[in-house]
Amino acid sequence: MTNTEAKFLLGAYRANCRDAGSALFGEALKQAKADPALGSWFARAQAHDAAVAARLQEIAPPAGLREAILAGARASRAPVSKRSFPTVWLALAASIAVLLTATMALWPNRAAAETARFTAFAIDDTAHGKHGGHGEAMGALQLMLSQPTTHVSAGLPVDFAALRATGCRTLSFAGHDVLEVCFNRDGQWFHCYIASRADFPGLSAKAGAEFVQQAQLASASWSDATYHFVVVSEAGLDAVKRLL
Amino acid sequence: MSSEVFTQLVDAHYAALYRFALSLAKSPSDAGDLVQQTFFIWATKGHGLREASKAKSWLFTTLYREFLHGRRRDVRVTSIEDLPPGESDVAAEDVDRAARMDAALVVAALQTVDEVFRAPLTLFYLEDLSYTEIAETLEVPIGTVMSRLSRGKAQLRAALQQEEKTAKSKVVPFDGAQGRKQA
Repeated sequence: MTNTEAKFLLGAYRANCRDAGSALFGEALKQAKADPALGSWFARAQAHDAAVAARLQEIAPPAGLREAILAGARASRAPVSKRSFPTVWLALAASIAVLLTATMALWPNRAAAETARFTAFAIDDTAHGKHGGHGEAMGALQLMLSQPTTHVSAGLPVDFAALRATGCRTLSFAGHDVLEVCFNRDGQWFHCYIASRADFPGLSAKAGAEFVQQAQLASASWSDATYHFVVVSEAGLDAVKRLL
Repeated sequence: MSSEVFTQLVDAHYAALYRFALSLAKSPSDAGDLVQQTFFIWATKGHGLREASKAKSWLFTTLYREFLHGRRRDVRVTSIEDLPPGESDVAAEDVDRAARMDAALVVAALQTVDEVFRAPLTLFYLEDLSYTEIAETLEVPIGTVMSRLSRGKAQLRAALQQEEKTAKSKVVPFDGAQGRKQA
């Protein structure tokens, strides 16, 4: 394989290393390790790809798009004339969105929907986020979380303000701060997202944990009196359940 | 499909679909319409898809098809043979430029890349789909995806450089001496 051929292949290798298991890239990756010139090119190409990908992930969908999609799907259960699709679609979506807004407070599944949104946010960030953060408070929590004897649902010593102020990675969800603490247990990485329940009164306050498996990522979510937590990992549902 | 599962599907994919749509349609409102239309089609037809793992590819494929169907017929599409070959070298300054530019400028640059390269390139940068899934989504061979990525990346680097120049030229430097004279 020439370096030109290797570059051609490696151009399709994603910067987040999700293609590490693909046999197609094996030989080209070996060559990049062995050949300094190719290796240097590959490092620059990956850095460039990672920078562009990170910028693209910053683009947020417009507010209300999700609600319009869901409202439109409910509307589509009614018989819809194909010829009048755009008008009917938009009219029904708009009217149901208004109804949804007006009846939001009375919607019995609101807590479940809000919790599902927060879980989806955590899963999306795990897949795409630039994880990091620092600080003494975060380090102490990380250390505790990494201990096999710690059962996370039994209560965690979270000081939200101190964590945020001292460098814990802070994200924004629905206009409020959410903290992320990454930790490694038994060689597997886990990402713990923490939201204050005062900021999200709609989040489910069920006693038990809820689990979601989405593609390669598994999550568990639970609440205590003050916070709502979601832990996401590629380690699998069983590994996530063992944390609790 | 239950509404709960549909909601999970929307939550999992609508943001990435919107980013893909924005790179294709160039306007936030058109991108939003494309995403809504894609989920509408899913709600009316796509629920028949047996393999849940294929849902993501199905959604991206459907959005792309809807974009192609909705595109105005009088727009001239550049033949791929007319386009210059890609330059595979990546300079250190290209990396620095991409790292310091903000998201809006990167999207603006992406939107200037020829459409035939823009779709695989955006899907590649979304990092959700592998090269084989991109090939399935766009219904082209794997080799074609790789070729288009190579040429698309070269166009994007040039476009990023141009966007940065344009952005800088819009900044009017403060002329302190002139300001004092007028004062």
